Amino acid sequence: MDARRESEATPMKNRTTVERKSEREIVVTRTFNGPARIVFEAWTKPELFKQWWVPKSMGMFLRSCEMDVRVGGRYRLVFGHDASNPDEFFGRYIEVTPHSRLVWTNDEGGDGGPVTTVTFEEKGGTTLLVMHELYPSKEALDAAGTGAADAMGETFEQLDALLVTLGASVGQS
Amino acid sequence: MTLTGMKKHVGVLEQAGLATTEKVGRVRTCKIGPRRLEEETAWIERYRQLWDARFAELDKVVEEFKRKEKVHGRKKRE
Repeated sequence: MDARRESEATPMKNRTTVERKSEREIVVTRTFNGPARIVFEAWTKPELFKQWWVPKSMGMFLRSCEMDVRVGGRYRLVFGHDASNPDEFFGRYIEVTPHSRLVWTNDEGGDGGPVTTVTFEEKGGTTLLVMHELYPSKEALDAAGTGAADAMGETFEQLDALLVTLGASVGQS
Repeated sequence: MTLTGMKKHVGVLEQAGLATTEKVGRVRTCKIGPRRLEEETAWIERYRQLWDARFAELDKVVEEFKRKEKVHGRKKRE
């Protein structure tokens, strides 16, 4: 009902692509039907950023959003319904080139978090946005993506042990 | 181990996502190891859906911005 009306209000929806470029990199691309100036503003002005970063379908609530968009400036996003148990994301801008390029660190997990680069490339009134996330290691990206799935263990020793256990349980049945 | 026992064993591994099998003609080939590729595809798709939802909202912000600029002319700088 509501969702349908919303999708009708957005006539030309472009495709979002996600690609794992390498063991440590993930790249998201999307074209927007507007000039880079506007898309860049939407990424750097908190009052605009708040309108899209947390879509309703995510079931999350953005409590606050502070952005000091200049080289060395900090940002902080606070999520959660409960003020006593907030979920925070923060970091520092390391490159700010108006309307074309933004680079920031993601420091909530401690030092050596991923670095995010967003570029805005205008072509005939539309803007190609490329968001690139570089993780410190393959393991860090795997962990961010698959999370617990990785905890299954990769070594053959662990797999062997599991095979023995599973084999035993099948044998019993 | 009997052939039936083996089939059962591989079936359990397959269900647990620890092995994959592929039948070509009369031969069924088993590969051991978690479904790494499928897992990766699954989380990448979840990630894509998140960004797709965000960007659908960002489309609206851009449309609204363009509409306002049209109304006010392009004087409103800063």
